[in-house]
Amino acid sequence: MSVRRLQYEVAGRVVGPAMIALDRWRAQSRRLSPSARPSPFGPPLESTRKLKELMQLHYLQGRYADGAVPVAWVTSGFPVELLRPWGFHVVYPENHGALCASRRLTPELSDVAEAQGYSRDLCGYARGDIGSVLSGRTPVGRLPKPDLLACCTNICQTVLYWYRTLAEHFGVPLVVVDTPYVFGESAPHELAYVEAQLEEVCAAAARVTRRPLPRDALAEALTLGREASALWGRCLATGKHRPSPWTGFDGFVHMAPVVALRGTRACVSYYEHLLLELEDRIARGVGGIKEERHRLLWDNLPIWYRIRDLSTTFAEAGANFVCATYTNAWAESAALIDPAAPFASVARAYTYVILNRDLANRLRVMRELVRDYAVDGLVLHSDRSCKPYSIGQIDLKQKLSAELALPVVMLDADHADPRAYAEEQVGVRAAAFLESLA
Amino acid sequence: MRAAVIREQRERHGRRIVAVLPVHYPKPLLTAMNVLAVELWGPPGPPRGVDAGRVQPYVCAIVRNAFAFLASGAASEVDAVLTPHTCDSLQGFATLVSDFSAWPKPLLHFQHPKGEDRQSLRTFLGRELRHLADGLAAVTGRELEPAALSKALALHRRIDDARRFLLTRRRGFAGSDRELYTLLRRGEYLWPADHFRELEAALRTLQAQPTERGIPIMVSGYVCEPMGLFDVLNEAGAFVVADDYAGVGRRIPVETLAPAPDPWDALLAWVLSMPPCPTRAATQTARLEHLWRLYEESGARALLIHTQKFCDPELFDVPAIRQRFAARDVPTLHLEGELELAPSGQASTRLEAFVEMVQARQWGSA
Repeated sequence: MSVRRLQYEVAGRVVGPAMIALDRWRAQSRRLSPSARPSPFGPPLESTRKLKELMQLHYLQGRYADGAVPVAWVTSGFPVELLRPWGFHVVYPENHGALCASRRLTPELSDVAEAQGYSRDLCGYARGDIGSVLSGRTPVGRLPKPDLLACCTNICQTVLYWYRTLAEHFGVPLVVVDTPYVFGESAPHELAYVEAQLEEVCAAAARVTRRPLPRDALAEALTLGREASALWGRCLATGKHRPSPWTGFDGFVHMAPVVALRGTRACVSYYEHLLLELEDRIARGVGGIKEERHRLLWDNLPIWYRIRDLSTTFAEAGANFVCATYTNAWAESAALIDPAAPFASVARAYTYVILNRDLANRLRVMRELVRDYAVDGLVLHSDRSCKPYSIGQIDLKQKLSAELALPVVMLDADHADPRAYAEEQVGVRAAAFLESLA
Repeated sequence: MRAAVIREQRERHGRRIVAVLPVHYPKPLLTAMNVLAVELWGPPGPPRGVDAGRVQPYVCAIVRNAFAFLASGAASEVDAVLTPHTCDSLQGFATLVSDFSAWPKPLLHFQHPKGEDRQSLRTFLGRELRHLADGLAAVTGRELEPAALSKALALHRRIDDARRFLLTRRRGFAGSDRELYTLLRRGEYLWPADHFRELEAALRTLQAQPTERGIPIMVSGYVCEPMGLFDVLNEAGAFVVADDYAGVGRRIPVETLAPAPDPWDALLAWVLSMPPCPTRAATQTARLEHLWRLYEESGARALLIHTQKFCDPELFDVPAIRQRFAARDVPTLHLEGELELAPSGQASTRLEAFVEMVQARQWGSA
């Protein structure tokens, strides 16, 4: 075993768990002094601690991954299960971008990218990531350098331009899974194309690792990925209960493993734990907020740097986000994956994701969410950083408002960059919307 | 002008008309099916009509304007719209137009594949071309005849050669940059044979002795709007000798294509023969190499990068291009526009200052 591999294993098996135990002990000490500030929220989810530990361990181990194990940087919609059999340590720049955004680091990192000529009009995740790559600054200590870049266009084309830039910077291979956009239904030749590319991904991974595809391990990773997505779907479905045992903003935070650790045993275990807790809260009548009077749907990415403020504003008015199109995206096509037909089923599952489908489908999904979760109002985040999610929202707002006779509001912001956030404007719109619910 | 061409093509030649969004599409296929392609690059200026507000202001002007244009009924004379899968915004445009009642007639898609040339891409592209032919057949009511495709490909090869020749022999073209680009851009809506006749006429006027008209520069960008930028450039003492506009140079195969016995193979080769373009996700390495070759072969002395605001594919490449050219001491200017009708005072001043700076460098080195 190489020194680097030893460091990697020690970080994952010894140092990480020790640090987690220390953090846990500190957290227990802090709990002795309860906050005097009244909170509109229900008791915090116990799983949040477990989530933090899981992600902390993932990023800690990542610091020592390059040179120890093959490293892949992948997009959030990439069929990562295909890379698991080779033991890739997987980095999700979008998840890292969300982390940077929630810690309000995007402007600082973006400044680095902008100084190199990247436009502020580009996606905030991409600017933050490129700034992090160029400066080496990251809240997770260090990101391992990739051996392989893996990009799937099912969430946007922007990731493709972004990953081309990374490929040029790192000088490593970029594999692309180009998923033709679904207008209505995919044509057979479109799905065949995606399927063929998945086989090319495996060939590229085999070249990078110099090992053939371990087919048994692939079946296992697909099974685990499907289980995790299904469990995530069941966690989300607990929001149908009144009161919802958690908030939609909790959902944004707790989706991290299904994005970043899909296809692993740890991910499945995590969601088993979370589901048990949510079901327990339902049984005990514990809600995500103390007084759930209004049930809302959130559309588009969260405004990461304002999650706490926005959730408090809404919770104080008795409004809880019981569902979101974004979190739902990692649950909706899980059932399509069949480990017995890996490439064909993965091709369909990863092509039929909400952002790769037309607005008619999006409207249908939103109608169903409104019905299934007994929603009283909708908040659409018009996200300057995410054009594929945002184009069409103005029509969606009008249609949903007219058809469902529900209040709908649009908030203009950016999922990562607070410089595109107008506090007053969002505050006034949110207040007017909340008044209309009353 | 376009309206007159459309009417004439329909009434005199019985051709169907398809409005085509940017940027890459298999034009010979449309020609072979007796379909006139009329490209919709906006149109320039502020978006018109009440539907302009249905697309957010942080989406590029091409999509905002094209949407407002279609939704207002201004394109009622065309029979269908074709949207290539160029970027997120055009993809959003396509679904918005078709799903939310902005366009009552057929909407066709061309999902050109992304990424490096590979087996899966070629197989898909071959099938996608046939899929598009089926869609066009539904619009025209006529199936494609292979012989017609061969004939159309031959015509387009001649057009490509003529366009390439005009651009590479720019110094022999007597007209201004605006005149050159007006001629080249008439290919966006003229029937190809008519466009070819105009190109041939221009080729006959090329002077044997090249003329330097000032600082030779290379341009790279998406679409050359506003065309008034060329006037500013020429008046300041510079002229274009190499082109990498997505709408112009990036749609001309790098080399003359040899005919292939099977027209479908030939069409596929034609689509794949275009210079590297970020909208098709060519690698940055390939693109930078291509740009540098173009620059050197043209004898340009400066680079103008002219992008549209919010154009992700172009904007992601700008830093790499600037760095590569700066490392070789090439003066570079990045101008950003929003499909204005005329250049802003600021853009004009920057362009003039840039040309003066390059002139000063040239004199200094002489």
